[in-house]
Amino acid sequence: MNKQRFLKERRPAWQRFEQLVDRRKTGGRGRLTPDQLFEFSQLLRELSNDLATIRSRDWGQGLVNHLNHLVARGHNTFYRSTPASWARVFEFLAVGFPRLFRRNAGYFLVAAALFFVPLAAAWIAVQTDPTVALRIVPSEQLEMFDAMYGDESFADADDAAADADTSTEPTPDEFDPAGFGEERAAMAGFYVQHNVGIALQCFARGVLLGVGTISTLLFNGIFIGAIAGYVLSLGYTERFLSFVVSHGSFELTAIAVAGGAGLMLGDAFVHAGQRTRLESLRVRGIEAVQIAGGAAVMLVIAAFIEAFWSPAPIPAVVKYVVGGVLWLVVACYLGLSGVRR
Amino acid sequence: MSLGLELAIESPENVVLTHPLAGPAPRCLAYFIDLLIRWGVLFFAAIVAVIIASALPGLATGTFLLLLFLLEWGYTIGFEFGWQGQTPGKRFCGLRVIHENGQPLSWWGATLRNLLRVGDMLPFLLLYGEDIGVLAALPVYGPGIVCMLLSPKLQRLGDLAARTVVVHERRSPLPRDPVIYDHILPIPPTERNAIVPRSETLALVDQFLGRRSVLSYQRGHELASRLAQGLADGLDYRGDPSAVVKYPMAFLARVYVTFAITPLQEDADAHQSPRGRPLVAEGTR
Repeated sequence: MNKQRFLKERRPAWQRFEQLVDRRKTGGRGRLTPDQLFEFSQLLRELSNDLATIRSRDWGQGLVNHLNHLVARGHNTFYRSTPASWARVFEFLAVGFPRLFRRNAGYFLVAAALFFVPLAAAWIAVQTDPTVALRIVPSEQLEMFDAMYGDESFADADDAAADADTSTEPTPDEFDPAGFGEERAAMAGFYVQHNVGIALQCFARGVLLGVGTISTLLFNGIFIGAIAGYVLSLGYTERFLSFVVSHGSFELTAIAVAGGAGLMLGDAFVHAGQRTRLESLRVRGIEAVQIAGGAAVMLVIAAFIEAFWSPAPIPAVVKYVVGGVLWLVVACYLGLSGVRR
Repeated sequence: MSLGLELAIESPENVVLTHPLAGPAPRCLAYFIDLLIRWGVLFFAAIVAVIIASALPGLATGTFLLLLFLLEWGYTIGFEFGWQGQTPGKRFCGLRVIHENGQPLSWWGATLRNLLRVGDMLPFLLLYGEDIGVLAALPVYGPGIVCMLLSPKLQRLGDLAARTVVVHERRSPLPRDPVIYDHILPIPPTERNAIVPRSETLALVDQFLGRRSVLSYQRGHELASRLAQGLADGLDYRGDPSAVVKYPMAFLARVYVTFAITPLQEDADAHQSPRGRPLVAEGTR
């Protein structure tokens, strides 16, 4: 078999194959009929054979490149990863994520300690001595929080809040639902962009031996604790607690979850076990990113609760009840969802 | 063998497929194209948001911030998953992300490699504008580049963790036969002996003629002379000896035409339509 004869015999098959690949490339519209599919699979094997033949005969790199590219394209069309579907998204959120989370719960506990312990420490420190807050949070930002919770637009139907506020309290019936939703939409966008961004960074920085994750967790814990302590020291206790209790369930937990995923990445390098460090990163990395993905979804939920439910003019008691239920929901979701009996 | 770095994958058909790996330079270019696209989209979104803001300030701000988030975190993940390993920038540069085992990029693979970009792109180069503070933060990709240069498959941290590689996707057309074959007559059997050169020799001649343009005329002539002289001796060529010395390339082409092309034409005349032989055994159906 010489090159010319081989080319002459095989070229029609190559052209036909290219046609089929091109048709498939155009997406959903380019579905192959069963007959074409059969032809495609047979041609793929024939062309693979041709490629091996050409390689062994040394008939020129150009020819090898041409056929290699053609077979590679066919290969990518023929062997695909499982396509995305809503069923798989739902399955991941309903059982896949909580299961993965529980399998790696140790990392979450460490991350939670790294986040909540400094948070509590900063909270207590600031509440005993509010001037400490100035050393942690920039004063402009403190003024912002001061204004936010002292603001009269922060309408609260609960009478208890009125004691703390010296300014005139607006009556609840001045509340305008349309204007409220409009204003909160901006905050929803902000919370998604800001909080989910922080969680994803907290996760990804873990790849640098976990240092980035640990520092992000400590920083955010201290920062949030300082603000909580500062706001409480100003006397906005009821407002603040009823505001944060609902979305805090999803938000604070999710930050610790994302932090745990980041620690997994860092720990994969440090404690590689029986694997090489690289292999360890690969095996744990693919689990860690799924946990971080779940945390991101939780934070999106938290952002919408924070934007639309938390500041709503609803009696504080209702918010406490709903907030308590949400904490329970989060705990049950992460702890029980998808448990195999 | 080509000189570039290649990723070799064995397909289920037991044939090795190779993909040329992409280095830092084309990937950097693709990144900047994507960056410009993202900035462009943000710029237009900002204009639209300002217009809408006169009526619905909250909604405009919220949507804009959401878009900012999606462009920052979702752009590369979304495109690489939806376009099978390509972003607009990568498509422009002819790059594609695939898994190390040759499979198309999976959802979690795309997510992992793009989230870990955060670790790869440190530190940031801050550009300051007059009176407005930080104008833009350009990633330096310190860990990314170091990692890429150390890894045999040119992978940055995110690629290593997600088992992905970035490859060039070059469409290479079927090489044409050198034109010279069309204008040359075969050596008549009376001017040579009955020996037929080995197919490797003919393949060498073919490759040499196909790529002769990469050599200078002089060097090509020199190399061809040796080959032509050897062939002339082996074939007992009894034609004009000066043709071998003066035009060795033409002689090589003549040899090739004689043994590779002419028999094929005679074949075609004999059986009217040569059909492709079935390479897959009937039993596989």
